[in-house]
Formats: sequence, C-alpha cells, structure tokens
Amino acid sequence: MKTRLLSISLFLLLIGCDQTKNKDQDYLRWIGDIPFDEKMDDQEFKLCNTEAQVLQYFNMEKGAVFIGEKPNLLNFFQDNFRVEPTAKQSGWIRIRFIVNCEGKAGRHRMLQADEDFKETMFSSSITEQLFNLTKEIEIWPILERYEKGVDYYFYLTFKMKDGQIEEILP
Amino acid sequence: MILKRDKKQETRSMTKNLVSIFERVSIKPILLFSLLLALFSLPSSAQPNCELFKSQGNLKKAEACEKCYELKGLYQFSKEFQTILDEALEIDSTFAYAYRAKSVAYLKSGDFIRWKELMDKAVEYDPEGMLGYRGWCRYQFFRDYEGAISDIEELDRLVDGKIGYSATGEYHLNIAKGICYSQIGQIEKGIEIIEKQIREQKHFAGLYDYLHLAALYIETHQYEKALEALKQQEEEYDMSESAYYQSLALLELGRKEEAWEWANIASQKYDEGRRMHDGYTHPPHKIYRKDIDELIGKLQIVNGPSTSSGTKIEDGD
Repeated sequence: MKTRLLSISLFLLLIGCDQTKNKDQDYLRWIGDIPFDEKMDDQEFKLCNTEAQVLQYFNMEKGAVFIGEKPNLLNFFQDNFRVEPTAKQSGWIRIRFIVNCEGKAGRHRMLQADEDFKETMFSSSITEQLFNLTKEIEIWPILERYEKGVDYYFYLTFKMKDGQIEEILP
Repeated sequence: MILKRDKKQETRSMTKNLVSIFERVSIKPILLFSLLLALFSLPSSAQPNCELFKSQGNLKKAEACEKCYELKGLYQFSKEFQTILDEALEIDSTFAYAYRAKSVAYLKSGDFIRWKELMDKAVEYDPEGMLGYRGWCRYQFFRDYEGAISDIEELDRLVDGKIGYSATGEYHLNIAKGICYSQIGQIEKGIEIIEKQIREQKHFAGLYDYLHLAALYIETHQYEKALEALKQQEEEYDMSESAYYQSLALLELGRKEEAWEWANIASQKYDEGRRMHDGYTHPPHKIYRKDIDELIGKLQIVNGPSTSSGTKIEDGD
C-alpha cells in the first residue's frame, strides 16, 4: 500500500497538471485527447477501437451517466474522501480519463484551478485521494454507438470549498 | 458528427422574434422550445454577420469573420476547427466570436482553465454579446454560482435588463440567476427573482421554470404554492420530477393518499424515461431512482403496511 501511495505521489509530482494541454499551434486530433504515456499509464488498459475513434461521453446523447446513477458516485466519494483539516483550498479539480467498451477506465489525468479558474496546485493530501478514489472505481457505463461498444472520454470535476468536496460534475 | 456551435446576439433577437410570432399563433410552449432548440443547434446559426462588419467599415473583423466560413462541417473539438479560428484571430485578435467558438471544446471536455482564458478574451472584446454565455456556462458546467450571478448582473447593467436566454434556450438568464442564488443559500432571493421573471408579460416559460420554483417553495415550506407551480409545470412539460415534488408537497400537507398516488406516478414516469435531462451535466432539482424509492419507503412507513396493497388511506391521519 505504501509503495502504491509513493508511486502515485511521484506520479502526481511529475505530471503536476494535465498533460493534454497543448499550445494552440500543437493540437492533437481533438481537444482534450490523452495519448498513451508508457511512463504513467497502465499497459493493461486497452482501447477496443482505434485512437481515432475515441468519442466524448456526450456524443452518444445520453448525457453524463453513472453506474447506479449519480447518487451512487456521490456516496462513494462522501464515504471515502477524508477531509484534511490543514488543506483548506478552494477551486476545481478535474480528473479526465478514457472508458473503454468494457467499462474499464485508464489514462487518468488531472487539472487543477483556483476559484478564479487559474491553474494551481492543491495539497497532495486532496489530489492523491481524489485521483486514487477515481481510479478505484472499477466499472463505468458501457456506451454504444450504432449498436457497437465505444471508447469514450469522461471526466469528474470536483468543486472544492475549503478542502471539502462541494459538488461533483458533470 | 453533430456540430453545436453557439451564438449570442442572433440567439437573442431570434428568440424575441420567435416568441413574438408564436405568441400571435398561440403555439404550445413545449413545441416552441423544440423549435427553438432545433434552431439553436443549426451550425449556420453560429456565424456572425460578416456583412455587418463591412458596412461598419471594420474590414479586418469582416475578414476574420469570413475566415470562419471555413468552419462549416468541422467538429468543434478538431484541430482543423481550432486552427481556422487561430487564423481568424491572427487576422483580428479582437474578434470575440472566435474566442468563444474556440472555448466550446475546452468547456465540454472540462478544461476550465483554457475555457476561462478564452471566454475572458471574448468578454473583453464583446461584453454585451458574451457575458450571458459565460455566466450560463459557469453555472451549467462548473456550478460557479457566484461567477454566474456576477456575469448575468453585469450584463443586466449593460443591456438595461434585456439579458436574454441561456445558450441552450431552455432558461431565461434571470431564472438561471434565481437558481444560482438559491444554491448559495439565498433561497428567498432566488424565489423572488424567478417569480418576478415569470410574471413578466413577455416571458415564455422554460421547460423547467416552474419545477425549480416548486422545489424552492418546498425547501421553504410553502407547499400550497409549490402545488400551484407544479400545475403550471405540468402544462409546460410533465415528467417524473414534477410528480415527485407534487408527492413531497402533498405529504407535507398531510394529504397522504394523494402523495402516495403521485409518488407512484413519479416512479412510472421515471421508468418511462420522462425525466429532467441535460446533455452534458445534471441540473439542480433533478431526481433519481433512489429519491423515488426513499419517498415511497417513507410513505409506506407513514401510511402503514397496507399502503402497498392498495388499501385506501385516510387523509390527515
């Protein structure tokens, strides 16, 4: 467990913020795409289709859907997120990832902003928890397009107030 | 791939014109919304009027604007789409529309940092045209209630109250502002704003206006008013949520038999998929299966085990 936490901490230190953000003149296929990075991504996580076929969650016109509906997700974080009395930051933390056609998630990336939407770094006691908890969710909704399972981008945005989760979006 | 580019000024004027037309022909509000939403989704509607810039002698802006004709058929997330907008901004770095169009993919992918940078630029160069959109997005995508209120109120000052509708066309921005106030603990103020907007002669009800109002009445223990609002809601758009809040209000008023019936209607409508829906996020006052089951469970306890067998329950027990 300690080794796992240490590796996650190192990972967070390394990435600091979202690696998908590119300079305007250096776009990927789509805004927000997350290329595989062998240094940080799980080799076991596979796409069902090609990289060029990864969609956005809303492309399937079902909106943001969750296993057991959204209250299930809220309960999960409410039950497992431990408020750190010394970490009183506010703002937004987004964890974006890909869900494959089997409902498994991978390539998680984090983005952090203060209350003015300026890039910032939250206390690692907050980010590590949110990152780890999000990765612990084993299954996400399987979405289809034209009756075929798709890979899609999804994200969780945590609205933080004084170190506590105030809301989870979308 | 569906392109859903946004616009502002045209939206406002189109909305006003359509409202005026449909008022004259007494069209049903739900149909009006369907038509409005369909129109808002048309890619061509996003393009500003380049001729207007020319007629104003603003040739650089006109050129940047015409560059955006090349966006037709491109997906707003794509590098081609973004690159064309970059080129438009190279022609005229004050072309607010291009910043806004660029921002949409960042908004929808949850990149609040880049989205805000771009929308700040858009607002800087066209506050009247962009503040309402930025405010709406702050509410819809990030639950930045204070930021949304600030933007909508600033717009209100700039355009003398004619603030218009959300980017989706479903909410007058005053309704959105009222919801925002209610979500930061100022429920009475939120109710007051929504009530005032609904009383406006030219207001046409949004899909969920009365539902939000009813939910806020319930939060402030005004159950009879909630029932009145829900009657109006049923005329606009009947869904699981309206039946659920109807049941809640009736339960609080001691009308248990009716509460039971409405809870079951809520359950049925939920299963039929008649629910509040947003293509990107979950709106406030949306309910879930868990909420309905808890309400039904509570009614079974309140009314006793005979409830589920269909035995008549006397009101006021």
